Amino acid sequence: MTGPIIGVDTGGTFTDIVLFDPRSGRLHLAKTPSTPHDASEGFGNGISEVLEVAALGGPDIDRVLHATTVATNLILEQKGPPTALIVNRGFRFLLEIGRHSIPRRANLFAWCKPQRPIAPDQIFEIGGRIDPDGSEVEALDEAALRAAAEAIAEVGIGTVAVVFLHSYANPAHERRAREIIAEVTPAALTSISAEVLPVMREYERGLATALNAYVKPVVSRYVGRLEERVDDRKIAAPLLLMKSNGGVAGTDTVRAKPVETALSGPAAGIVGANIVAAAAGIGDIITVDIGGTSADIALIRGGALGLTTRSVIGNWPIPLPMVDLTTIGAGGGSIAKVDKGGVLTVGPDSAGANPGPVCYRRGGTEPTVTDAHLVLGHLPEALLDGDYRLDRALAEDAIRTRIAEPLGLSVDAAARGILEIIDNTMVGAIRVVSVERGHDPADFTLLPFGGAGPLHGGPLARLAGCRRVLVPPAPGVLSAFGLLASDLRAEFSRSCLQRDDAFDFEDVAGVFAALSAQAEAWLESEGVPAQSRRMTRQVSLRYEGQGSELTVPWPGDVDAAALAEVVAAFHTAHEALYSFRLDEVRIEAMTLRVDAVGKLPPLTLPEIPSHTDVASARVGDQPVSFAEGVVSAPIYDRARLGAGSVLEGPAIITQLDSTTLLLPGQRATVHPTGSLLIEEE
Amino acid sequence: MTLSPTLKTPNEGHPHMPKKDLRAMASDATPADIDPVTLEIVRGALRAIQSEMEMLIERTAMSAFIREKKDYASGLYDPAGRMIAGKALPFTSDLVTPVFKYYPPETMQPGDVYWYNDCYDSHGAVTHTPDQVLVAPVFFEGRLIGFSQTWAHFTDIGGMRPGSLSPDCTDLFQEGTIVPPVRLVAAGRMQDELMRLFVRNSRQPANVRGDMRALMAAVTLGSTRLTELARRFGGDELAGAFDALLERTATVLRERLAALVKPGTYAFTEWVDSDGHGNGPIALRYTLTATEDGRFILDHSKTDDQTKGPINLILNPKSAGMLVGAYLLGDSHDLSLNAGAERLFDEVILREGSILQPRLPAPLGQRGVTMLRNLSGYLGLLNAASKGGASASHSPYAIWTFRGTDAGGERFLMSDGVACGYGARPFADGHDAVYLVAQENYPAEFVDNFYPMRILSYAMNPDSGGPGRWRGGCGVIREIEVLAEEATLLVRLDAIEHPPWGAGGGQCAGTGRCIINPGTEREVHVPPLSDGTLVRRGDILRLETGGGGGWGHPFDREPERVLADVKGGFVSARSAEADYGVVLTAGGRAVDTAATEARRATRPATQTFHTGHYRDSIQ
Repeated sequence: MTGPIIGVDTGGTFTDIVLFDPRSGRLHLAKTPSTPHDASEGFGNGISEVLEVAALGGPDIDRVLHATTVATNLILEQKGPPTALIVNRGFRFLLEIGRHSIPRRANLFAWCKPQRPIAPDQIFEIGGRIDPDGSEVEALDEAALRAAAEAIAEVGIGTVAVVFLHSYANPAHERRAREIIAEVTPAALTSISAEVLPVMREYERGLATALNAYVKPVVSRYVGRLEERVDDRKIAAPLLLMKSNGGVAGTDTVRAKPVETALSGPAAGIVGANIVAAAAGIGDIITVDIGGTSADIALIRGGALGLTTRSVIGNWPIPLPMVDLTTIGAGGGSIAKVDKGGVLTVGPDSAGANPGPVCYRRGGTEPTVTDAHLVLGHLPEALLDGDYRLDRALAEDAIRTRIAEPLGLSVDAAARGILEIIDNTMVGAIRVVSVERGHDPADFTLLPFGGAGPLHGGPLARLAGCRRVLVPPAPGVLSAFGLLASDLRAEFSRSCLQRDDAFDFEDVAGVFAALSAQAEAWLESEGVPAQSRRMTRQVSLRYEGQGSELTVPWPGDVDAAALAEVVAAFHTAHEALYSFRLDEVRIEAMTLRVDAVGKLPPLTLPEIPSHTDVASARVGDQPVSFAEGVVSAPIYDRARLGAGSVLEGPAIITQLDSTTLLLPGQRATVHPTGSLLIEEE
Repeated sequence: MTLSPTLKTPNEGHPHMPKKDLRAMASDATPADIDPVTLEIVRGALRAIQSEMEMLIERTAMSAFIREKKDYASGLYDPAGRMIAGKALPFTSDLVTPVFKYYPPETMQPGDVYWYNDCYDSHGAVTHTPDQVLVAPVFFEGRLIGFSQTWAHFTDIGGMRPGSLSPDCTDLFQEGTIVPPVRLVAAGRMQDELMRLFVRNSRQPANVRGDMRALMAAVTLGSTRLTELARRFGGDELAGAFDALLERTATVLRERLAALVKPGTYAFTEWVDSDGHGNGPIALRYTLTATEDGRFILDHSKTDDQTKGPINLILNPKSAGMLVGAYLLGDSHDLSLNAGAERLFDEVILREGSILQPRLPAPLGQRGVTMLRNLSGYLGLLNAASKGGASASHSPYAIWTFRGTDAGGERFLMSDGVACGYGARPFADGHDAVYLVAQENYPAEFVDNFYPMRILSYAMNPDSGGPGRWRGGCGVIREIEVLAEEATLLVRLDAIEHPPWGAGGGQCAGTGRCIINPGTEREVHVPPLSDGTLVRRGDILRLETGGGGGWGHPFDREPERVLADVKGGFVSARSAEADYGVVLTAGGRAVDTAATEARRATRPATQTFHTGHYRDSIQ
């Protein structure tokens, strides 16, 4: 269990590969173009490349870990295959009607309904009904089910979702439906809602199940190709994929519940951020992952990833446990515009990777956030070791004609305005994960990553009120890195309605036992040895009458003492989050959950050499424009900085995959693990 | 009576405003001083504050009305009580100034929270009594810099029937406890006597307490956040930004109105079917005049008299600009809907004693019908002025409420809001199955779990969307089996006798109805606006709701779209052929192209409106 491990993170433009060899303590990086027509190709190329760099062979490898955007893109781009859905009689329009609302901030007259992943003519109604207590009101109409399965087979649909009312209380009808479908059309993939997400509220559970079915054929094939690529390279080690919950799982788990990989990439980044922070002795961080079109923001407290069941992917709420992050349309490619009324807006439209910012010279004409950075001197004109030149004159021209002149501002002021607006948008998201969740940003270290993250870390920390910034050693490949540090994780939950003054301990103990058994079975199937298994119990609670729950750990046994502890923890959490508690009100338990973890060997970060000869790392100087005026700032090559080095802002710190901007008044110290710790002087 | 919402100065036109100019008190910066960057940042920050307040309400409120149906909102106001950030579709925007009559701003203190639900006293700031409004003044460096505000619909605040509202009401005093503006929290000290009194008058005291805690927490949060914003930008800069945001919205919306409405006078009449007490139909009559010198005058004075039944709506004259403004705003992300929209019309004329400006004690509880019909009336005016260039009409959302006693002997009240269809637009289909912005349904599993009833079906109401180049949205069909021994049923439907009209060549929508035990010998049709119908265990109730009108000639709709609608169950094959001229093959799985071309060769002429037949105007 101590051989080299490989992490592969597939992004929109590049696939990042990291190989860590615990025997030598060496870390090898590689970057290869992503291959959107078949992402497994880039995955395979990357592995070959990193093996070559590390001079290792496939058989030497102990573990391969992978973060994928295949499911995410299918959902966002609505490119899944035809999918069928089986529902109760009378509920064919389950997805179409949804919650019968339009978003709170949408305009009633302009909004257009997003297309559902499954069209109504591929939805089949079947007789049969279960009541909320799990009893059967009407037997399942098996003949009708068989007929539906035949119709589905006839039109060549290969993936089916089954969503029956109250299946969280009794999944018998859904399970029987799956058997019948398998008899009629054995090749079809079937997803049943009681297994995807056995909790109350049919639209949300149904949507999660429908999306699971929707991405299943493509993800299954993709996983198969990944396995081939691994085999081709003579790697006999297990292949594990990152899920939205910040843990990895084997290919069989992913084949069964592919929708759980919807946040695979961002989750890997958060795990990476957590491990880098931990290595620097920091447990409370706010992570800001800034890419080309979007930014993902998350908060970690005490080194533990927070999970939420309120995630939204594209247009769809998916109440599966996922890392609690906020995604906004703000990135390096976000476009700045001035409208007729003289209003300056930045994003959410993005120039993306293609054509990209104006300064990339790939045909982009609308100024972006990256162009603003370049004009102000935040970026060196040569990126990626000089292979890649940025055209400053072109960027300046675009900002002058499209922003500065219409607003009557100088080019510098216009560029600063663009950054102030985008920073403000990001600070809004930082507030969502911190202040809105009852956390004071002053208690947290900001951890920016992604190619563009470290340019914004300093200003964001000041705006949000974070006292420190930690820039990881390789901000551009942190997600790949996070894979190396991941454990196996899965959550098993079920609705179980209880009230604190009439608590059925036996019932709760029974449900917890059943969930634990499921968790054990899963850990077993993943080959996790007994000493590496961890299980914790959670319960979601609310004041009687509320519609939204808070999740708190369930300690020890299922008895009155534990309940008292749980209730006390709930009151405290409610007050911390929402500013008040209601001691006189009864408390309801809604969902029980067992979180299973299979521990993998921990990752120890290699340390960099120690020296404080900062001058030897200085590779040039460049004028940088701040609101107070233009200052000449030194440019440092991060690779040449030794542990213990101290840099005073203003300064620019370049590296292969990112650029860090140190503001006047900020001081950066190089940590032995290679991270830069930035503090106000 | 002429009520002018014109805000040449921000305080003019409201009887409760102190004479001295609060704006001068608030701001020394002029809009021109505010740079576009600060402006955009302030706008983004206000949006974020508002979302945070609303999230807090949604997650902590107790009654299903707020937490599942989401009948609540928040807003942020300037020191003069002008809305800077509010709902995406604000039926009323003037929620702060009603407090000034009793509590002039200069007497307010940090930590105060004011409360009211008084419809008449607030001049239609709230339009029915269950909506509780909280207002908190916000201070920075000892100066009033604005207001934080929240409201939510409380399930029961006393009155004649559980749920406080009933079509049977004929007097405002039957519709729950009336609260004039009072100070609920004085400088941070909660005045619990007020709450005790209010809670004692509710059939659901725990919900009332819980919901009020949620609203108070949210209004306080808004206050804190607004202060933080002032700390970041400075009080003067913030005030200047508020002014600039108002100015920008006012300017752009007026330009857009001028582009749609050329000089002239245009008339339109919308109808409410009935007041539930044998009176109706009731006409809402409008004229819109655009003068050569660029003034817009909106006149409602020919509207019919107020009614005995509770469908009266106190239309705050500022609301007309907000509603038409929301339409004109569309999805312009660079613009916020704020009190600047109140300046859209130079004059708004209403007649006291009419259904849109009733006299006390006319009941108001079911004013939702009139509110949605009035919104449709404004769309009608825009169509009249642009010869069918605006959206078609919609059905008003429906409500059915069940009251009774469950097996455990506890009283229950389930008030179920049911979606309808919205009008097609010159660029897209109308919404299928939507209630209103940000108001959600009760999931079937929620109803089955918590009420003695079972949802049997929840489906699209086929052919209820008006045919057109763009199809009107469909209403829904909801079927419920009663599991309680006995319950009484309240129903609210409208736009049945006057179906939502089509525009620009599109046709009118289908309508709704409520039936007990449909298709059996015991079948009963429930009057569309009624209360007190007794239902029993085993009864099956079916509510069908109406759709939205179509837009544009139905023969111009792509046959593939019509086919998809047929396969999806939105449109019948019969309607495809009769209304859209699209003939399908035998199995209904494909378009019969030749037959369709032949059918579409003779193309019926259309006119601006359609109400069962095409017509040039509706008056």
